[in-house]
Amino acid sequence: MLQKNKLNGLSANTVQKPVIEVIDICKTYFMSGGLSQSVLKNINFKIFTGEFVAIMGPSGSGKSTLMNILGCLDRPTSGDYLLSGDNVAKKDDTALARVRGQNIGFVFQNFNLLMKRTIADNVSLPLIYQNVSEAERRERALKMLEKVGLTGYADRLPSQISGGMQQRVAIARALINNPSIIFADEPTGNLDSHTSDEIMNLFTLLNKQGITVVLVTHEEDVADYADRMIKITDGRVSYDGLRKSYQAGAELAYQEQVKQKTFVEREAK
Amino acid sequence: MIYQILKEAWISIGAYKLRTFLTMLGILIGVAAVVMMVSAGQAVQNEITRTFDSMGTNLILIGPGQTVKGGVRGGRGKPTVTFDDMDSLASLKDVETISYVVNAAVQAVYGSNNYGVSVYGTTPDYLNVGNWEIEQGSMFTERDMKSGKAYIVIGQTLVNELFGLQNPIGKVIRLKGQPFTVIGVLKEKGDGMMGDDQDNIVLMPVTTLRQRIHSGFRPEYANIGFVKAVSEDKMEAVANRIEYQLRARHRLKDGVENDFSVRLMTEMVEKVRNVGFILSLLLAAIASISLVVGSIGIMNMMLVSVTERTREIGTRKALGAPNRWIMFQFLTESILISFMGSFIGMILGIVLSQVGGVILGKEVPISLWSVIISVVVAIVVGIVSGLMPALKAMKLDPIEALRYQ
Repeated sequence: MLQKNKLNGLSANTVQKPVIEVIDICKTYFMSGGLSQSVLKNINFKIFTGEFVAIMGPSGSGKSTLMNILGCLDRPTSGDYLLSGDNVAKKDDTALARVRGQNIGFVFQNFNLLMKRTIADNVSLPLIYQNVSEAERRERALKMLEKVGLTGYADRLPSQISGGMQQRVAIARALINNPSIIFADEPTGNLDSHTSDEIMNLFTLLNKQGITVVLVTHEEDVADYADRMIKITDGRVSYDGLRKSYQAGAELAYQEQVKQKTFVEREAK
Repeated sequence: MIYQILKEAWISIGAYKLRTFLTMLGILIGVAAVVMMVSAGQAVQNEITRTFDSMGTNLILIGPGQTVKGGVRGGRGKPTVTFDDMDSLASLKDVETISYVVNAAVQAVYGSNNYGVSVYGTTPDYLNVGNWEIEQGSMFTERDMKSGKAYIVIGQTLVNELFGLQNPIGKVIRLKGQPFTVIGVLKEKGDGMMGDDQDNIVLMPVTTLRQRIHSGFRPEYANIGFVKAVSEDKMEAVANRIEYQLRARHRLKDGVENDFSVRLMTEMVEKVRNVGFILSLLLAAIASISLVVGSIGIMNMMLVSVTERTREIGTRKALGAPNRWIMFQFLTESILISFMGSFIGMILGIVLSQVGGVILGKEVPISLWSVIISVVVAIVVGIVSGLMPALKAMKLDPIEALRYQ
């Protein structure tokens, strides 16, 4: 276990309870005519509280599908997904919506703010579905805006602020329900490099405050902000370890290790 | 939760004010049209009821029979019921009173004023059967009738046309060149069913009319006879007795059709009222076509809105909105639009029908139906036109919706 943790790049003081535990997840799309396409194949990993993980992979590798499953927007074809110990792999739409509303924060590439609503309304939107009173929603929204450095912008419209600020609003929105984890899908994809740095620094800051962040990106320099990296290639985990120690050689070594492990397990059986 | 959904829906439709207003317009016009039609129908029905009430209740009307020429039924024939026939009905069981009328249209002259008027030669009991009241002076008596006195009782129209502000009692006016003394004035009744002026009337003893207006040429036939039954539930029985009596007096053999007609006022009221009701129903049905059009307008707009807001729906779902919430929000938006349209339409309809009433000089009732129709329309149209778009929004896959450009 200790060795595995080291492999995952965990610092020693992290609580040893996984926020996310993915067990043998497969996702297959069935098409008409009996054809099927296997997008995710036997994915296994754990993410612990306080980690900052980058999920990488070339386009078509299945990382978006994995992200959708992790974000409870989609269900795996087989396998189990424990989110804070709760198996969400087989839950129905309504239950998944509740999980998303209570445990997950989303940050999207194109911000996805409601353009006709004020910044404060946007930030507090997830709380509507938790039946939080209007006054409390406003109060919590203002607090979150302060946290992302947007004090005083509460009553403006998204169209009146810059892209970087809009993404901060989205981050505030993701944080407002005190989620156990934040998923950011290409959060800097629509931003220039300077603003990207600002947003990534904000994620780093939030992570230092103990928030678990999972980042999906294909940009190497964005991934550099993360401590740990999970690389998906052709629907399989091709690397899982410290971002720092990642290089082509490390990936190969990891694959060798996995192969060995499977071999040993098979032999044991 | 209901408040939250209402508020979200309200803000969402408020974000597109012009579009919301234009969509609302269809329902607004539709409801206004239906309310106006219903009000018009009700006004007509009230008018009918009022007219019949002014003609008296428990009344049985006896008139000429139908003409039959070569097997073809024609309209009403010549009067066949004599004064004696009518007088004989007075002694039938359950008959309160009888009267009859012989009418003529003549020119009334007073000084330099003259006016065309309907003259009714009748009996003193006409006041009772016709629901007339004397406002001033008195009605002629049985004795005046027997002696053929040249006394007349006149309606309000004639008072206004001939005398203006003068007191007409005791004045002498000329009808067909003959002098008649005004001994009484009738209380105003207002317009009749066909918009005819019921107050343009002169009552005189039927004997006087025969002698002085008709110059005694015509036999003693009544144009129309009235029999007033003691109560409404006795009318049917009285009508049967009248028929039996008149057939006997006219010596009609079995199998020969009546040469007279006996009609119950209640039946006539019912008939006319039914026609009025069907008419107003028809008008409302035609007007409600515009409601269907308005409803399609809302559905169309909501479908566009769902497509336009696909990303918003995806975002809301990703942030924890349950499918039901999304469905109810869109359904509520549609109901809100149709509710506002109906409400404004109802007010517009009421105002316009009142304005119309004032212009036409008729009393138009503000009926409870307007409110009921508006509320029902608001809910039905809102749900019917909002359901499909709402279900479409509900079924959107959040992943697809978030990717939508």
